Amino acid sequence: MNTVDDIISQVQSLPPLPDTATKLFMIMNDPKSSVDEIVETVKYDQAITTEVLRLCNSAFIGLGRTVTSLKDAMLLLGSAKVLQMVMSVHANALLAREQAGYGLEPGALWRHSVAVALASSTFAQRLRLPNVSLAFTAGLLHDIGKVILNRYVADEFTEIVRRVSDEGLSFGEAEQQVLGFSHEEVGGIIAESWQLPDPIVRCIRYHHTPHLVDPPDDLVDTVYLATSLCLILGIGIGEDGLCYRADQDVMDRHALHEGDLEQQGMKILSELRDVEELFSAHAPRTGSANPACRSEQRQGP
Amino acid sequence: MDLVIDIADARVSNDNGATLVAYSLGSCIAVMLWDPAVRVGGLLHYMLPDSALSAEQAKAHPDMFADTGIPRLFRAAYELGATRENLIVKVAGGAQLLDDKGTFNIGKRNYVVLRKLFWRNGVLIDAENVGGSISRTVRLEVATGRVTIRSRSQEVEL
Repeated sequence: MNTVDDIISQVQSLPPLPDTATKLFMIMNDPKSSVDEIVETVKYDQAITTEVLRLCNSAFIGLGRTVTSLKDAMLLLGSAKVLQMVMSVHANALLAREQAGYGLEPGALWRHSVAVALASSTFAQRLRLPNVSLAFTAGLLHDIGKVILNRYVADEFTEIVRRVSDEGLSFGEAEQQVLGFSHEEVGGIIAESWQLPDPIVRCIRYHHTPHLVDPPDDLVDTVYLATSLCLILGIGIGEDGLCYRADQDVMDRHALHEGDLEQQGMKILSELRDVEELFSAHAPRTGSANPACRSEQRQGP
Repeated sequence: MDLVIDIADARVSNDNGATLVAYSLGSCIAVMLWDPAVRVGGLLHYMLPDSALSAEQAKAHPDMFADTGIPRLFRAAYELGATRENLIVKVAGGAQLLDDKGTFNIGKRNYVVLRKLFWRNGVLIDAENVGGSISRTVRLEVATGRVTIRSRSQEVEL
């Protein structure tokens, strides 16, 4: 079996998206859907119900009252927020593992993915896109292809890096040449096999190459900006580093300037810290919440 | 023991068992100080060049910015007995996306502001590993002042 066939068969062996998530997507894309329908979908999924209620009652969400039912959670938070929680719980199981081929320690890819999800939401708001929740999910899953491509990258790492260094390729271009697929393409295939909505598939497939989408797509631009910003900030990035292409056209299309990126960067960093507290059991390195520069005196004998 | 310094954070230590670590720097810069006489080490992991961007953030997180974080790092090292004459200064990070047009040049600007600040204050950089499109994980051993940079599965000493 050649590498390409092998990769495809690996994609097929990935655990499917939970029924709950698939149904939620369908309901939420239907403008006539009601809170009752959504509750009906989620309530049979014990793990997700428990997690949603735990998150709702955490200090971060800060509702100021105890939430005991899914219906309350939906009404208080909005169904979009609850969908984000469902997706985060599911993505955590997939993304929390070490991805040694990319030099990502346990938890690093999850941290990066959550940061890109948060950044995608804030950029979607900044660009006044109608569906912020879609941007969040696309951002959360943008690097899902790395979960499959990881071990192939590990085998061919030296050759991929050689092409990046010597031939000026981006990491994705080098993956494509050496392995037959980039991680973006593999991610697109996974998203299709999960029957995710087309706009999400598109974001995953083109998150480093928005110029390939014709006509330009605001949601793809959003996830591209979010990904680029999180690489710049160095949030959970691996050995592929910043070897992806900057795209001035995306900035121009949305009249964005460097200052806007910096503002978004500050915002994401503080949101990420809040979310990491929520998922602290899974967060590998939360660093310190104390921003002050501390001096540490060694204890004398 | 590893002391992890997250983005927009800093730490100074004279614990001889400690190693100060900043993971996966992108355009952020790690400034590392070490005084061999008193064996004091410090590491600042800043994210943006200029605190003028947000007075509120500059107050809450001064280590987020070069202009507010760097002076604090030096002062914290002096408080543990380090002296300016002895301090060895090393710098790493400041990477960029592959970018012909200089669109996303936070890394470059992070470095320019640092150079200006050092130049105005007569601080010399003893060693640096900056720019390019690689991510870097840096470690500073407080006991020895040894600085290593890990990137693309290889470790080099700075």
